[in-house]
Amino acid sequence: MAKFVYKVVLTIAFLSLLHSAISAAQHRSYIRLNELEFTHLPLDVFIQTLLSLFTIMYAVLHLAGDFKEIKASAELENKSWETFRNIPSFYVFSHRGGKCSPSKASLEESE
Amino acid sequence: MSKRKAEDHVAYSEAAIRNNLSIVEYCRTSVSAISGCTAGILGLTGLYGALFFVFAVTSFWFMLLFNAGIDSWKKYFISRKSLLLNGVFGHFFTYILCWTFIYGMVHVY
Repeated sequence: MAKFVYKVVLTIAFLSLLHSAISAAQHRSYIRLNELEFTHLPLDVFIQTLLSLFTIMYAVLHLAGDFKEIKASAELENKSWETFRNIPSFYVFSHRGGKCSPSKASLEESE
Repeated sequence: MSKRKAEDHVAYSEAAIRNNLSIVEYCRTSVSAISGCTAGILGLTGLYGALFFVFAVTSFWFMLLFNAGIDSWKKYFISRKSLLLNGVFGHFFTYILCWTFIYGMVHVY
């Protein structure tokens, strides 16, 4: 859900950057038509460009993925000793318990 | 002294380090491309463009450290200096490519 919000923010920031590029091109053509000297962009275009740059940086940083802890023991800290000893391949179900249990024996007779 | 020794013997998970660094690399590549586009739109030329690259990369570095946590960045990265300086020239060429392209699109034609 949060990722979706950041994607929307990223899209809006890209559109804003595109808009400021178009504004800058328009300003340039205005200057060319009036035969003025280009010194700098209008302040609003300048601020919009910088703001979209920082918004894109922020959104990309959050969209790229989550950092993992680099300590080797970080993943193991939440696990107990019982979890480590648990090896499913060594499970045995056909052991003598079945033969010894009266309820299991009566089940087998009735079949 | 004993604390220093304990720090020396920390075992790092290589997969986690590689995961973090690849995320940072991805972000830095996009940041250098986008800041190149921004410099082109702003119409920067010459040394101002290079200074803008330094400004963009440094501010992204601060953003990254802030995102990882000002105190807890050590949990995710070994060194923060290498976060700033790793492959900075490669990213500079990406920056120049986008800068000149967008400058030509916006200001020349």
